[in-house]
Amino acid sequence: MLMASIGKDILRAVLQGTPPGTVYALVALGFVLAYKTSGVFNLAFGAQAYGSAVVYFTARTQWHWSILPAFVVSVIVLAPLLGFLLEWLVFRHLRTAPAVAKLVVSIGLSVALPAAVDLATHFEPHGSIVIEGIVPKGASVFYNVLGVYKFSRDELVAMAVAVVAMLLLGALFKFSAMGLQMRAVVESPRMTELNGIDADRVSAFSWALSSLFAGLAGVLIAPRFHTLAAPDFFNIVIVAIAAAAIGLLVSLPRALAGGLGLGILIALFTTFLPKWSKSVHWLKPIKENLTPALPFVVLFAILVFVPSVRRSRAAVDPLSGVDPPAPSMATTPGNRRATWLRRLVGLGVVGAVAAVVFGRGATAWVFSVTQAVVLAIIYMSVTVITGLAGRISLCQGAFAAIAGFTVFQLADRYHAPVLIGVLVGACIAAAVGALLALPIRHLNGIWVAIATLAFAFFFDAVMVKFSWVGGSRSAASASLAVPRPVLGPWTFGNDKSYLALCVVVLVIVTLAVSQFARSTTGLQLQALRGSEVAAQSIGISPARLRVVALSVSAFIAGVGGALMVIQQKNVNYDNNFKPFAALFWLVLVVTFGARRPAGAIAGAATFSLFDKVMLQGNFAAWIFRSPKRIPGIFPLSGKWRFVLFGLGTIQYAKHPEGVLATSNAQRQARRQARADKASQARARNDTSAATTTSDGGVVS
Amino acid sequence: MIRFIGRPTSPSASCRSIAVAVVAGLVMVSCSSSSTTAKTTVASATTTAATSSSAPSDSTAVTTATTAPKGPDLGKFEAITGVPGVSDKEIKFAVEGTGPSNPLGYCLLECYKQGVQAYFDYRNSLGGVNGRKLVISTVVDDELGNTQVKLLELTSSDNFGIFASPLTYPGYADVAKANVPMYSTVPAAAEANGFKSIFLPTGTACIACPSRQNVEIAILAKAHKVGSLGYGISQASKDCVAGHKATFDKWGPAVGIELAYSNAELPFGLPNGLGPEVTAMKEAGVDFILTCIDSGGALTLEQELERQGMGKVVVSLPQGYSDTAFASKNAALLEGDILSPFFHPLEATPLPSGLSTYVEWMGKGGYAVNDYGIQGWINADLAVMGILAAGSKFDRASVIDATNKITNYTAGGIVATVDWTRQHLAPTIADPVSNAAPKACAAYVTIIGGKFKLLGDSAKPFFCFDPKVDKWVDATPTVFG
Repeated sequence: MLMASIGKDILRAVLQGTPPGTVYALVALGFVLAYKTSGVFNLAFGAQAYGSAVVYFTARTQWHWSILPAFVVSVIVLAPLLGFLLEWLVFRHLRTAPAVAKLVVSIGLSVALPAAVDLATHFEPHGSIVIEGIVPKGASVFYNVLGVYKFSRDELVAMAVAVVAMLLLGALFKFSAMGLQMRAVVESPRMTELNGIDADRVSAFSWALSSLFAGLAGVLIAPRFHTLAAPDFFNIVIVAIAAAAIGLLVSLPRALAGGLGLGILIALFTTFLPKWSKSVHWLKPIKENLTPALPFVVLFAILVFVPSVRRSRAAVDPLSGVDPPAPSMATTPGNRRATWLRRLVGLGVVGAVAAVVFGRGATAWVFSVTQAVVLAIIYMSVTVITGLAGRISLCQGAFAAIAGFTVFQLADRYHAPVLIGVLVGACIAAAVGALLALPIRHLNGIWVAIATLAFAFFFDAVMVKFSWVGGSRSAASASLAVPRPVLGPWTFGNDKSYLALCVVVLVIVTLAVSQFARSTTGLQLQALRGSEVAAQSIGISPARLRVVALSVSAFIAGVGGALMVIQQKNVNYDNNFKPFAALFWLVLVVTFGARRPAGAIAGAATFSLFDKVMLQGNFAAWIFRSPKRIPGIFPLSGKWRFVLFGLGTIQYAKHPEGVLATSNAQRQARRQARADKASQARARNDTSAATTTSDGGVVS
Repeated sequence: MIRFIGRPTSPSASCRSIAVAVVAGLVMVSCSSSSTTAKTTVASATTTAATSSSAPSDSTAVTTATTAPKGPDLGKFEAITGVPGVSDKEIKFAVEGTGPSNPLGYCLLECYKQGVQAYFDYRNSLGGVNGRKLVISTVVDDELGNTQVKLLELTSSDNFGIFASPLTYPGYADVAKANVPMYSTVPAAAEANGFKSIFLPTGTACIACPSRQNVEIAILAKAHKVGSLGYGISQASKDCVAGHKATFDKWGPAVGIELAYSNAELPFGLPNGLGPEVTAMKEAGVDFILTCIDSGGALTLEQELERQGMGKVVVSLPQGYSDTAFASKNAALLEGDILSPFFHPLEATPLPSGLSTYVEWMGKGGYAVNDYGIQGWINADLAVMGILAAGSKFDRASVIDATNKITNYTAGGIVATVDWTRQHLAPTIADPVSNAAPKACAAYVTIIGGKFKLLGDSAKPFFCFDPKVDKWVDATPTVFG
């Protein structure tokens, strides 16, 4: 009897876990498809799916189209078109770029595309609606399965599509020439072309196909949400990564099984843990914390414990040298005088801005500038881990939050001085960074990014909930208030004095990062970034260096995070430190240049001030000398910032030094060209003069 | 001139737990208690009462404020200099909030602004206040996640006060420090707690405290076994579920209702659905569900209940009243569900003077009547009450002080009485009385055929309890205004 009851519970849980598992499976299949056919770990998959879902929803509800034309336009036409455009405009030029560079570009697109879709369609999230699927009455008509649980029409369609897609795509890769060509182009486009295959055409088809699948997944999974909003799609993607990782990003059947398995595992946990935890008390915390974090735990476990992941290395195109990436322009030797002049001008500008802000700056301006300074400190952590070590960490927000929460908890529970909290918090962040780095020290490329992303979401789903991390001692207040510091005779309650303190810290961190880059460890990191094998051959230990790099990076992020919560006098985790925020941080830093502190500072200034200065029209007002002459297009939507800087990452693959170094190098190159030209002209004149003198006449 | 100022959304800000914080805040709407017995009365300007802070009444009847129509108090003009936002002709206000970037998809900034504007139109049609017109000079969309910097900008702007309706609430402490009067929305209760210059339509509230209103709604649903659902990622949502547990632990035995199932660990967005949870509730015999989740999550719950043959189980919805489209579009799923608006339900006729004036002027402006519009209207009315109470030579500090002396504010009968001498501080579990409203009240509507229908006495729609009485006593039907 008992066994029968448990058996029925298990069967029901399996059925209940199948619909969400299908959603994960669909997205995981899309991931695998994109990775197999383009070599890109496409974090923008959710954004592509969101685009089709928005168009489908708008066509159905606002344009009152019937299902078929709405589906055709949003999925069959627009989705492949978007894929084709992405390939043509972006990824075609990145074929020989490293996988990490492609990942950064896809992160940029994941930020830019939803904003671009919203701007293009004037779409706004809709609340509390039952979103229609692609079959009539998809959410309201149910079919009983085995007399235990009912599936809706929408869910049955999604399941059928997932299975059919897996079979068709499997057949495409296994039996068709196009499937073989798609995989060949990923491995070596040049070699494929030597066999008479048009790599561009195959690549375009690959992107159109994977984008079509993203669009299909978008309209199929949208009914699971009752608010059509981009973050829902991104969150689903993160869970689906775990399913895709089960298939090591290449196996379609395993991705399908992984997605379904995750959904079913969560349903089993949700069914049995509440029952068992009533009598087995130690299961209670597992019930409360593990279930929401299960996908991230599974993902992290795969990364750490599956040997083939640890051993995986990015496939290298044997003919990549035929059309290598553009040479690093930052290696162009600089003009010492011009460099000093530029520095002087820069210092002058900074001095002028400082004089205005400290002298006449209104509270809101001081707030924004302080935010820029504090963010610059956090962004320095990206300079260390990405710029120096060449690794992508997507959990810098979690490190910053750890220190921020530490400051709050120490001040709230023990009345500790907040500056002590900054140091303690940064040290804890560094320790967590080191602990995280240990299991992932042997991972490479995109796997590191995935592992750190999993940690960020684990922190978000589990750690923040603990009262000793993200909770307040006072139940009456939802805010985690943090006081301003006092240092001996100096109090920093005043916003301007706190800004001065932050500037001092920024200068110290900047000098420390610059010094770190020149130190033995820094040079070893750069050697490791260049060639791991070569670095190992001269006795450098990659594992040790990676632990050090992530730890130092976490420390710096912690310092910045702690200073940020003190600046805002509140932790404000949701506003400041959520995982998606850290993605945009990375986007900004690599856009401006991850290898130099200047890139971090420019990125932070942009994050804090671009909207105020540019998008609101203040710069235009300054140009036109009057707010009344601001063109009517202002103020521009803040979403333009995400579009501009999201797309800005595209240049990362070609020029990983970033915008600042690239433009600087281009300027130097132009100057050098002018100098060369002048030199040649002088040489010609000299020759001409010599000829005239020797001949006693004029050479025409 | 109205200026629209925007700022980019932080990507993080549009993510789920921001939404959860707000969702949980919305829970406060249903948890917020109100008062009735007043010792001094300042009636709403929307009433035709003797509206003055110097018009105290010792009545225990809650309708005193509207019984002596004299016409609205317009105040008296006196030249003032050096007060931000105040000129001889105008009193300027700013409206701040989250615009279309609200990821939960409901109307916050625009609807709230419409309520304020409708009240200003109404008031200006009478001659304004203290000889000046009321003007919304600045409208700021924080685009989610930039509330703090936007509020900081407004504290130094040329506006007398701020009407705020953001999705998240950082920066409230900065506004309070600047001593700028700010009028915000019910979900901001936790962030406004303790700040004497921040006013909400119903005062602050204790979410985790036992609440008689939750017992009353279960009685109306004819429930015996109650379920409670909340999100694990939001402390307020978890507190809400804890409040439900405390409620039925305390008063459940007296009314024969028990909390049979509770789950405060749901992941936001419910990506895994609610299959196992609904099965567990079914096995526990749950016949009524209190929710501490957003209305999108409530729809997921309703679909799962329908799927598992529990479609007739009544659900207490967290929000959606006045959103007729929400009720009508989801009529089949929401049939029989109950909502608890924090104000006098529109279905309870005759409408009190404040509410009828609100409906009339929202119509004149071409605005839809909804939850946030009514909060804008109430707050605009309270701002005017404060200015009138401060006298003809007023400034920010005197208006804040005068407002905080109001003990019997009902916005012309729209809400149960708020006592601003004590309702800036939320009651606590240890002391649920000292800072509570004199009476804890709520009104209820149910959804029948996609339309809202009043539960209770139309003439006295509020179910009120005396917070000083610890044991269970049946509610007293009450009307305000």
